[in-house]
Amino acid sequence: MNTKVVSELVKIVGEEYVSTRVDVLLTYSETASMAKDPVTPGAVARPGSAEEVSQILQLCNKNKILVTPRSGGSSLQGEAIPKPDGLVVDLLRIKGITLHKELRSVTVGSGITFGELDKFLNQHDLWVPVAPESALICSVAGNVAVNGAGPGSSAYGCIAEMVLGVEVVLPNGEIIQTGSEANPNAPGPFLRYAFGPDLTGLFIGSLGSLGIITKVSLKTYKRMHQFHYETYGFDTAEQSEKFLIEVKNNDVLPMFASVYEGPVLNFFMDMVGEEYGIPEHEWPHRTVSMTIGRLREDRMKSDAKKAKEICEQLGGHVIGISELPQGEWEGRFWTFVRTCYIHGWHWRTLYHHQTPTNSHRSVEEITAAMDEHGFLGHTAGFLSGHSTMNMYPHFYFDPLDKEEDHMIRAAHDELAITLYKTGAVPFKLAEYWKGRMEGMEDYMKLLSAIKETLDPNGILNPGVLGGI
Amino acid sequence: MTEIDLDDLMENLAQCRRCGICRDAVYEDMGFDGICPVWKNTAGFETSFMRGKLMIAIALLEGRLEKTSDNTEALYACSLCGNCTEICAAEFDPKESLELVRAVLSDIPNEVRDTLAERILTTNNPYVTDKKGKRDWVAELGFEPPTKADTLYYFGCTAGMKLPETAKAAARLLKAAGIEFAVLEDEPCCGSVMIRTGRLQDAEENAKKVLESIQESGAKTVLVSCAGCLKTLRKDYPEKFNLSMPKIVHFVEYFLELVKSGKIKLKPLGKNVKITYHDPCHMGRELGIYEEPRDLLKAIPGVELVEMETNRRAAMCCGAGGGLRSYDPELSKKIAADRVREAEETGAEIIANACPFCEQNLESGAKLIDSSIRVADIVDLIVDLIE
Amino acid sequence: MDQRIVDELARIVGNEFVSTREDVLLTYSASASTGYESVQPGAVVKPGSTQEVADILKVANKYKIPVTPRSGGSSLQGEAIPKPDGLVVELLRLKDITVFEELRSVRVGAGITFGKLDKLLNQYDLWVPIYPESALVCTLAGNVAVNGAGPGSTAYGCIAEMVLGLEVVLPDGTIIQTGTEGNPNAPGPFLRYAFGPDLTGLFIGSLGSLGIITSVSVKTFKRVHHFHYETYGFETKQQAERFLIELKQNEIHALFVSIYEGKILDFFMDMLGEEYGIPKHEWPALTVSVTLGRVREDQLKSDIKLAKQICKQLEGHVIGIGELPKGEWDDRMRTFARSSYAHGWHWRILYHHQPPSNWHRSIEEIWAIMDKYHLLGHTAGFQSGHGSYNYYPHLYFDPQDKEEEMKVREAHKELAQRLFKTGAVPFKLAPYWIEDVEEMKDYLNLIKTLKRVIDPNNIMNPGIFGDM
Repeated sequence: MNTKVVSELVKIVGEEYVSTRVDVLLTYSETASMAKDPVTPGAVARPGSAEEVSQILQLCNKNKILVTPRSGGSSLQGEAIPKPDGLVVDLLRIKGITLHKELRSVTVGSGITFGELDKFLNQHDLWVPVAPESALICSVAGNVAVNGAGPGSSAYGCIAEMVLGVEVVLPNGEIIQTGSEANPNAPGPFLRYAFGPDLTGLFIGSLGSLGIITKVSLKTYKRMHQFHYETYGFDTAEQSEKFLIEVKNNDVLPMFASVYEGPVLNFFMDMVGEEYGIPEHEWPHRTVSMTIGRLREDRMKSDAKKAKEICEQLGGHVIGISELPQGEWEGRFWTFVRTCYIHGWHWRTLYHHQTPTNSHRSVEEITAAMDEHGFLGHTAGFLSGHSTMNMYPHFYFDPLDKEEDHMIRAAHDELAITLYKTGAVPFKLAEYWKGRMEGMEDYMKLLSAIKETLDPNGILNPGVLGGI
Repeated sequence: MTEIDLDDLMENLAQCRRCGICRDAVYEDMGFDGICPVWKNTAGFETSFMRGKLMIAIALLEGRLEKTSDNTEALYACSLCGNCTEICAAEFDPKESLELVRAVLSDIPNEVRDTLAERILTTNNPYVTDKKGKRDWVAELGFEPPTKADTLYYFGCTAGMKLPETAKAAARLLKAAGIEFAVLEDEPCCGSVMIRTGRLQDAEENAKKVLESIQESGAKTVLVSCAGCLKTLRKDYPEKFNLSMPKIVHFVEYFLELVKSGKIKLKPLGKNVKITYHDPCHMGRELGIYEEPRDLLKAIPGVELVEMETNRRAAMCCGAGGGLRSYDPELSKKIAADRVREAEETGAEIIANACPFCEQNLESGAKLIDSSIRVADIVDLIVDLIE
Repeated sequence: MDQRIVDELARIVGNEFVSTREDVLLTYSASASTGYESVQPGAVVKPGSTQEVADILKVANKYKIPVTPRSGGSSLQGEAIPKPDGLVVELLRLKDITVFEELRSVRVGAGITFGKLDKLLNQYDLWVPIYPESALVCTLAGNVAVNGAGPGSTAYGCIAEMVLGLEVVLPDGTIIQTGTEGNPNAPGPFLRYAFGPDLTGLFIGSLGSLGIITSVSVKTFKRVHHFHYETYGFETKQQAERFLIELKQNEIHALFVSIYEGKILDFFMDMLGEEYGIPKHEWPALTVSVTLGRVREDQLKSDIKLAKQICKQLEGHVIGIGELPKGEWDDRMRTFARSSYAHGWHWRILYHHQPPSNWHRSIEEIWAIMDKYHLLGHTAGFQSGHGSYNYYPHLYFDPQDKEEEMKVREAHKELAQRLFKTGAVPFKLAPYWIEDVEEMKDYLNLIKTLKRVIDPNNIMNPGIFGDM
């Protein structure tokens, strides 16, 4: 990178927080996204405040330097891979947690991870009840930028539903605060929908392409201590899907509910069954693993009873193995990482959402793709809100086998088209969706127009948001 | 006559804060499933329902809108059904206010309004330009009612001229029940349509004539078979013209009493005959007579009474009233057809009613959509059932 | 309006559905917003389909005619007052309703009112649990455009929280579908956050300035049949405020919660006490009127018990008059219209949100303004979600007293500025809130930028956010 620009960066953040060292650049050339080619940036800057982020963006805009915002580096779909000779803006130095107890909310800087926040809130017997699978690594701000979901989402939806406002630095350096805090006199975040159109949403799921989120305000809730863990067995996919819908309909509060196919569950059990102390079992065609949570014991018991009733009405049976959901829930900040890495493969994921009653279609298509291309992998999903499931298929490959790596990429891209045709939707408009969403040309045109207006020089994470 | 207090009227009109609840409110708990039949059966511009009509009224009265026939069209494109008054959240009666506005603006030319009034004033009916025919049905009765008696059957223009079978049925019913009754030799029109369309002064002159004729008959009780006559004689004459009227009773009320007291007994109409009842605006919303006609129908053996989606205070109008049938016959019939469709949805074979004016329009509506449903006055239904 | 343009419009919708009649234009020159000047449009058009809306906007865009979208005409803050010689597009003919039982959602055309939808959903034992105060008049689409709230919002938030997607016609005639339905293969609406940045939110609360919403998809829920109505008395504002926070914090499912000052309650009782059969009572300094609702009876009982306990802990007392909340809730689609109109005055409203802990600040400013300007009026509100309270102060005037009306307008503006300084936020943005607020210039600028890119000719409800 141009040394003049680098010295300008140094002026903004201090010498200590800019690097153009080859080894440093190498470590920023990749993230947790496997099956993506590394790209070496020209520099990395680690600003300590929104004001510094603003100055950096003004500088980059002037010099048309491509910028990749990054915090935890844990994203799986290539959201934080830099551009050649571009600038990586690492946001982990922006710390700060402010609790607004009376407002039932908390504000965190873009460097705060879910793990940190959870420990802090626990002191107040509070929590933000949604956490992604990479909770110990990813920052809240980064998760908002990719609109993640995870344990807790079955009851509360994706992270977007928790957001009360963001502080965001636009490509031109303007610092915008959305939500009630846009009013400088406001006592803090208490309402997302303030001041007309919802500008907050524009940055949720924007994959860092419209602005850099430097602060996020979220809802907090009283922490739950009453949980009920249970597994429910069904003979058909339809029964298990209906079960999830009825659980939601009847106001049972599932903190986390996943549907597992028999074969997938057997595979998981082989891997981690013993580690989590899950007894041997002949798992049925479909198993729903569910954690019910409530503040009050009587309500938790009432929910557990109702869930059992619904299960049996649908012709299912209560399996009685609670170790599976309990392991998932209690280890929610780590379990998923564990199951993703214990098997030794590298993989590509293809996050998407299906409505529960259509989730068998994803399973069918993914299984068919694995059969056709002859690769290994699995798919599972969890209930992630009002009537949607977050599916996270994994396609395995041997990192030392380049050919397999490329086969996986091709299969992955093909599957995106197939899944789209089943009615699935991506919530992260990762790069590979580009050109694979027939009938959405006008939608993408609007998105492009917004991008061009906010970022006329196209400096912020270009190409990442669905190719825009 | 009581002068219209313009300040009072303006104050009433100012009660409308344009909330728009009078357009098409669907409020299941209160039974409303749409409010304005004109809005529903036209292109549905704001002018079609009460909110817009009152805006126009105020603008005309304040001189912000030129007083032309065109600009008063909306004021007359309304059957004054009063459904808007039922749902209105403010403290005034929009339908009544519009009726008064028509009176205040009665100088603005309106051919339909004036033709109706001229006919009534000169020929005692709004339908034709001579007096002939209104009493022809009497000749077909097979007996000649006197012109003086304690009880007078004030049959009304529509039954007399358009639905003589109903007039005859009413008379036969009275005879079968052993009631002595008179029929006027030259019955004046009640003048309802003149009140509705704003010819108040003429309506008052006419009302005096009606009262005189009734007094001449010596009647202590006036029986009517028309909801419009009922409301006009029972409510408007005393309230608007300060006239002291004898007892005005609708056939339905009268015969329900006879049935209840056991004085008459009804034979079965058939086996499981499904009937639905259409509430005439003048009887229901205006006078609160909802249950009497239903009770009478239920008293007929073999009748299963079923309700339409909208009924009683929330009943949709047949579209005939307020001068609308004359002012915009096509619209009026469309509204009737809409009501007939609602009746058809109940699976009923018969739409029973208690108003020849409604009946006439509902029949037009049924014809418009080729409906085979039978439209019948309750009087027609029970005339042959007296044991 | 130019006859050629009118002819073009007539070709799109048919002669029957275009009007330039003077009387018609007069009736579209105002809405339910009292205290606003009427403005006569040049034409009114009533499209019967989304395609017709698109064709109309193409014509308007070509001739640069300002467009005012309108449905129920029940908005109270001048949102649907046309521009001189502009075009009013009335959407009431768009009447489709599609229920997606399995997706727990429903899609409605822009002509469907809450009352109409509620009746239909009742057949399925479902509801959309938020009812704006004008539910019998206003359409869902219109309510989304102003982002309204009402009974039900205490538990579920503002209408934005129900939205799963929108069909929007952009000023250039492009038809955009947001949410899962953006995918033409999707089984229907099941997730708002699909396809990257949340474009849905951009149109929520946009006051018709960015496009015309022709169809709205919203969440449905199983209808609640177990209710409990209770009033709770407190001596201090702080106790009452805390009570609201604790209800939420303890997961008590209150559908509708209002705080009434003693004097306001006396005023309401004088108006409507008898109509709603509310017994005479010496109301305490603060009364909290609460409707609890649950799908399951045992849950309700648990809530009732805990609410009572919290009230007592805060040194309040259970009043025992259930008729007040019951009247509010049972007649929720009409009560508020009734209490707004029964007293005979015209009024100007100043919708805003406060956190419950700041409830008293609005009260203080509102009474101060009424005293200063010698005005009559009142203020009340309701809890409207996670951490907010929706206020709706009314400032009364005699419609025949122009001077008083002008005084009310002036007071209204000053009140907005004073409330802003207390930290209150409007959810419907109007220029009087922020025109002189330096700190919000960048925020407003962002809205204007977005407006410019989507509506370069500025034809959509221009000026609604202030001078663009």
